[in-house]
Amino acid sequence: MAQVVVVTSGKGGVGKTTSSAAFATGLAQRGKKTVVIDFDVGLRNLDLIMGVERRVVFDIVNVISGEARLNQALIRDKRVDTLSILPASQTRDKDALTREGVQKIIDELSKDFDYILCDSPAGIEKGALLALYFADQAIVVTNPEVSSVRDSDRILGVLQSRSKRSEEKRDPVKEHLLVTRFDPARVERGEMLKLEDIREILSIPLLGVIPESESVLRASNTGTPVIMDGESNAGQAYADAVARFLGEEKPHRFIETEKKGLLKRLFGGRAA
Amino acid sequence: MSAAPRPETSPRLEPFRLRGANFNLLVLRLLDPRPEAVVPAIGDQFRRAPGFLRFAPVVLGLGDLEVPASAVDFQGLIEGLRGLEIVPIGTTGGTPELRNAAMAFGLPPIRSAGGKEIEEPAPAPAAVSAEPVAAPPPPPPPAGMARPTMIVEQPVRAGQRVWAQGGDLIVTSTVNAGGEVIADGNIHVYGALRGRAIAGGGANADARIFALNFDPELISIAGYYAVREGLTGAPIGKAVQVRLTGERMRFDPLG
Repeated sequence: MAQVVVVTSGKGGVGKTTSSAAFATGLAQRGKKTVVIDFDVGLRNLDLIMGVERRVVFDIVNVISGEARLNQALIRDKRVDTLSILPASQTRDKDALTREGVQKIIDELSKDFDYILCDSPAGIEKGALLALYFADQAIVVTNPEVSSVRDSDRILGVLQSRSKRSEEKRDPVKEHLLVTRFDPARVERGEMLKLEDIREILSIPLLGVIPESESVLRASNTGTPVIMDGESNAGQAYADAVARFLGEEKPHRFIETEKKGLLKRLFGGRAA
Repeated sequence: MSAAPRPETSPRLEPFRLRGANFNLLVLRLLDPRPEAVVPAIGDQFRRAPGFLRFAPVVLGLGDLEVPASAVDFQGLIEGLRGLEIVPIGTTGGTPELRNAAMAFGLPPIRSAGGKEIEEPAPAPAAVSAEPVAAPPPPPPPAGMARPTMIVEQPVRAGQRVWAQGGDLIVTSTVNAGGEVIADGNIHVYGALRGRAIAGGGANADARIFALNFDPELISIAGYYAVREGLTGAPIGKAVQVRLTGERMRFDPLG
């Protein structure tokens, strides 16, 4: 059986789609058969970030309404052959998604894939609820900022009460915290929430911290998931997070200001 | 529907006060006495709004049951409902025989304020388990007997609301900003209290709020409340006990 993983956040613009693309690619690079589904019907973006926007013929709504078969709509990635993308529709709205339709798609994908990533839209309305409904695991994407943390807290509550697992009283959805756009210098200046504070409020295991990086925007604009940029901090941080997701132990990197953090540790970090 | 407890006066001055209060309660009218028929059907229904009905107190309506008391499995019903995080707190309607049977399982008859009255409940049968049934002193409103303390071990998150009806509430984790905890009795938070805490139902002025890390959005006891902006004098971030003295809220450091 495939693992269904929702990438969600509550708030918009925190990096759900970037993280979905990076995670899906990372899992596929490690040989896992992975499909990533864009649930943001009406505002599809995942295909752009994945660089397949010119290959979209059919989308998830076509499949649900029976206008296309699932394998007609799936786009096989050209860089990693164990990776597929199921795009969202640009022209329809979220009402075109139905629970039964999504269930059928997930059941069918479960036969062929190890991981099904669901890239959730923002908010806690229908699209977001459907994206998380079937989840076995959830990656909650949060920025070091109060409103983002509050919305993530809210979505965690929704996961606990409105997922299929909670309704069937099975083991709860496994939750992972992914902090993105983290800027240690701004945290030090008190302009961003500290990592400990975020962890304390959300109290779920930390999967990774992705540093704020220009490489993310560059990657988005060129349609290359940032995890493929092995030079960039953000790419490496995503690779670490994928490794942790698969059960490896990795120390967290990029969470302290560079050099200064090291010097401080050497020369009286206690004073700080 | 609302239940109106009898307002009574206390003989002494300060040990406690009893006041009448009206509560809006959901009545679950049983049309079938079998738990195996009722519980799954409710599960389906309530599932559509699980957050809303979490720990919701309900009154069991017995008026539609035309069976002898022996045919109703109250134990099974109570367990089934609690399994769905719905808390039955009493009964309304039905034959005296049915009401007495329910009382043996800790579900006292509740009088509805506007509707038909049921006659005063007979004294509780002697064999009512270990729960002390307050017979001669007036029973506390609204359920008529001590209710177990509700313990919540998960963080109460933004948008979540936990209500300990008729008793105390203990949260062993945190109450996050945007979360809400309500109890008719006291509230204990053995973590950070960053959301709203409403103790003492509508009337229990002796209820208190305890928090290890006091950082709330709003605090209310027995209808008196203070928002964060007004808490300038309170020891924010400390372990704190909140109580009412007269009409003022008092914040004392703990430990």
